[in-house]
Amino acid sequence: MKKNFKETSKTGARVWLFQRISAIILFVLLILHFVTYHFINKGIIKYTDIMEKMKSPWFNLIQFIFLLTAVYHGFNGIWMMVEDYVHPKLMRIVLFGIIVIIAFCLLFIGMLTIFKVSNL
Amino acid sequence: MAKQKIKLKILRYTPEKQKKPYWSTYQLEVDQDSTVLDVLNEIHWNIDGSLSYRRSCRSAICGSCALKVNGQNILACETPIHKFKGKKLKIEPLPGFPIIKDLVVDMDNFFEKLRQIKPFLILKKPLPDKEFTQSPEQFSEIRESILCILCGACTSSCPSLWSNKDYLGPASLLKAYRFIFDSRDDGAMERIDMINDRNGIWRCHTIFNCMEACPKNINITEYISKLKVKIVENSI
Ligand code: SF4
Repeated sequence: MKKNFKETSKTGARVWLFQRISAIILFVLLILHFVTYHFINKGIIKYTDIMEKMKSPWFNLIQFIFLLTAVYHGFNGIWMMVEDYVHPKLMRIVLFGIIVIIAFCLLFIGMLTIFKVSNL
Repeated sequence: MAKQKIKLKILRYTPEKQKKPYWSTYQLEVDQDSTVLDVLNEIHWNIDGSLSYRRSCRSAICGSCALKVNGQNILACETPIHKFKGKKLKIEPLPGFPIIKDLVVDMDNFFEKLRQIKPFLILKKPLPDKEFTQSPEQFSEIRESILCILCGACTSSCPSLWSNKDYLGPASLLKAYRFIFDSRDDGAMERIDMINDRNGIWRCHTIFNCMEACPKNINITEYISKLKVKIVENSI
């Protein structure tokens, strides 16, 4: 039978599920972030306060998960918008490349910060 | 009956004659409780016979008179003009579909997509001796979704469809829900396989426009979400 809507990949279900899961993780971690950074020690937060916290490996592990999920969630969302609005194949491939490169750059910068400070 | 003067702007277009759609303005006197369809009829019968639009049952059952008035997709036959509170009426054809003439749009693609999800009962088990029975609980699962009159207002209001004409659209997805969740139907797997596609159900980003547009007040977005959960459960 003729198909009107073009058959594309079947990965939709997985992507949809991961996007919800990463959203929940982000939500929890964001609250954690706000509580630990802004509400536990009242008053003005100083550079040294944060440095002190970042010495703990647990803290950094959470930071790392936060970074991973934020980058995944954000760039997956951008890719979905590209799929919505960009239809020429070549243009999609180019944009996919750009998105992946930017995502990895951000991931790298984030990891650099985490690992440099924590001396892991 | 009290009369009222109204002004309206209607988007006109004859693809063979004009390059682009253009606006025609009309001023007329109508009864205060006229519907949008009454106004269109008045224009067509007494003012400008060249205006084209679809209508049939005038009872909100046939689903042929869906159009866009002041930015909202509505059924012309059931919407009174006083709903727009004395504002100038701006009448356009349903967005997202190609225009055939004036307010008449080409819905072939819409119905073709509907056909693809096989909008009929698929039976694998032997037929029962008498009629099919359904418990009230089983029926309540699909009760709202069977009210659809296939007017196309929902699919036409969907931004995902505007940006990607290959998208299946809310009306077909609602129809898929109606059969997948029907206790008598055995074709759920075929249908799920059909809609589980990036241009199928996953193009829906829960925008809720379909639900607002539906003249039958069907909560389409909720049913699409139920379908998504079912597909994810099936594919894990
Ligand atoms: S779901 Fe509602 S808006 Fe969509 S086609 Fe059916 S009746 Fe029309």
